[in-house]
Amino acid sequence: MSYYLVQTLNALSFSVLLMLTGLGLSLVLSLMNFVNLTHGSFFLLGGYVAIHWIGAGAPWWMAFPAAFVIAGAVGLVLDRFPFGRFYPRTHLMQVLLTYGLSVIFADLMRWGFGADTVSLPTPELLRGVVFVAGLPFPIYRLFIIATGGVLALGLWYAIDRTLWGAAIRACVIDRGIVETLGLNTRRIFTVGVVLAAGLGGLGGALGSGMLSAYPGLDEEVLLLALLVVVVGGLGSFGGTVLSALLLGFVTTFSRVWLPEFANFLSLGIMAAVLVMWPSGLVVRKMRQV
Amino acid sequence: MTSTSITRRHLLAATAASALGLGLMRPVRAAGGTTPIKIALVTSLSGPFAALGESMRAGLELLIAESGRQMGGRPVTLLVEDDQGKPDEAVRKVRKLLSQDKVDVLCGVISAAVALAIRDIVADAKALTFISIAAANGLAREAASPYIFRPTKTSWMLGHTGALWTYDKIAKEGGITLGSDYAAGREYVGDFINTYRQQGGKVGQQLWTPLGTADFAPIVMNLAAAAPSFVYAFFPGADAVRFLQQMRDFKLQDKIRVIGPGALFDQEDVLPAAGDAGLGGVNTYHQSPGAPASAAFAAAYLKARNRIPGEASTSAYATGQVIRAGIEAVAGDIAQKDKLKERLLSAPVSTALGPMRFDARNNQAILDIYVNEVRRGADGKPFNTVVHTYPAIQDPGPKA
Repeated sequence: MSYYLVQTLNALSFSVLLMLTGLGLSLVLSLMNFVNLTHGSFFLLGGYVAIHWIGAGAPWWMAFPAAFVIAGAVGLVLDRFPFGRFYPRTHLMQVLLTYGLSVIFADLMRWGFGADTVSLPTPELLRGVVFVAGLPFPIYRLFIIATGGVLALGLWYAIDRTLWGAAIRACVIDRGIVETLGLNTRRIFTVGVVLAAGLGGLGGALGSGMLSAYPGLDEEVLLLALLVVVVGGLGSFGGTVLSALLLGFVTTFSRVWLPEFANFLSLGIMAAVLVMWPSGLVVRKMRQV
Repeated sequence: MTSTSITRRHLLAATAASALGLGLMRPVRAAGGTTPIKIALVTSLSGPFAALGESMRAGLELLIAESGRQMGGRPVTLLVEDDQGKPDEAVRKVRKLLSQDKVDVLCGVISAAVALAIRDIVADAKALTFISIAAANGLAREAASPYIFRPTKTSWMLGHTGALWTYDKIAKEGGITLGSDYAAGREYVGDFINTYRQQGGKVGQQLWTPLGTADFAPIVMNLAAAAPSFVYAFFPGADAVRFLQQMRDFKLQDKIRVIGPGALFDQEDVLPAAGDAGLGGVNTYHQSPGAPASAAFAAAYLKARNRIPGEASTSAYATGQVIRAGIEAVAGDIAQKDKLKERLLSAPVSTALGPMRFDARNNQAILDIYVNEVRRGADGKPFNTVVHTYPAIQDPGPKA
């Protein structure tokens, strides 16, 4: 029994990483209808920032806000140029632009941070284990689960319960009407992009303690995040969370029972979900005018 | 705004002049007998093996610099091409190197898939080729070729010696194998199991995980629950780092002995990132920064790049030493391929990997295999310390 309890905790910690990146991508992709394939680069950048932050001897807990701020700042710059000009354009143009940028970022990061695999120097406080019914479980993973939970709640509250959130959601449905209310929709989009980039960076900072950081991680993460968003259902906060949990649990338990077929099984189940619910687990209710 | 001073006409004139200059110079240099020998390094400077590729280039460049940029009395130029770790890209680059650049010697190659992809092209062109890292057994067996040398190990040489050591020193039964589910993982683990069984050992569960597994925790928990007497594991690069760290995170590092082929504990590629999580690991490898043969190189490399060498840099350096020995035997006349071959097959070359002889059946190196244990080095950081040497291990070769 305790064995499955620990495996459940493992699944939760992996799900939280998927959720953090998925939420960032979902914010931009489904709420703002902008295909942002540079999202994996924010994740990797966040990881490198945290590693170098702690490596330089700065207070470790500040590493996570720092990753959020720096990745968010990159998001802000990108929003000014060139994203801003591509919001009204077709998805194909957005894919071409952001994919190209992600390749450039990958090269820049290899040049700046080197091609070696590096890991987060985990702070002393988080390095131990707790014993869950006799089996060891790393404290760092509990930290990831807790942080992710708090962030998801905060984000849900911001998007679903505040005026800012309402404005972002309104922008997507009818930008023209929002403009006539006197709101600057351009600025609202900027906030969305910065928030998403920051979340990507934060996910990377937390994840680097589990996954390390190395060239190529950006692509792997982007793929997982896209999977989470699409299976969850475009435009749905709850769907993204649900699908991150599903993917996390399926991946973990297929590793437990059938490690050899882990990828096959987890991707197969996600594909089956899409066949049954083509628009994702949770479909956003749109008012038809 | 001074850029107007360079017009297109100037550029054209300059291009024409330099082309003319090159055209005039070429016959003169050829007549002088000092045309450079062109050595091409095919490696991965982007993609999953980028870190290995950088080290490889650094190792070979160090050797060329130490040789005074010349071999057998002729200057040496190095051409480096990036195969991105992809077979199709490598094929394109090798074709270009052979037909357009007219290189004299090819070397490098990290991925076994790349090595197998370019094998027919270099074999058909009879181009002198030295495979520095790719370990696929097939290249020493059915895919061996008269002009392809392998100054490196085969998977069998590491899996086999790993099994000998495990059976003698660790446990005779109750172990688990764990490998990345792709060609290299299957070979290392398969060769380990064969030899271990031949010795009389009994292997327990065999686990395979997809290459690029993000989270090993579920499997690490399985290990904790199974409590095996040892784990024979193979993962490359970032996978190795994650596996070792997660073993430590779950407090299994001191409970379960991990043994594997050297890549799992590579001094340059894995240990700096894995840190103390690597301590206590045992590996069989043709390379060790702690081996006497590699001392001079390790010191020079540490000075040049401020890091201790691992397989990629040492292999590239040793490949360079082999190429240099061959070129010196023909006094720089690289066209005498058969004489060059004869030199390499007749006597050992002393390299940073150890004394290296070549098997005349398949041009495969016969190498000393070190058993390294990861202990704290002089600087307190994890260091591959030689605890035993299996001398002159020879792949079974074409008949296997």
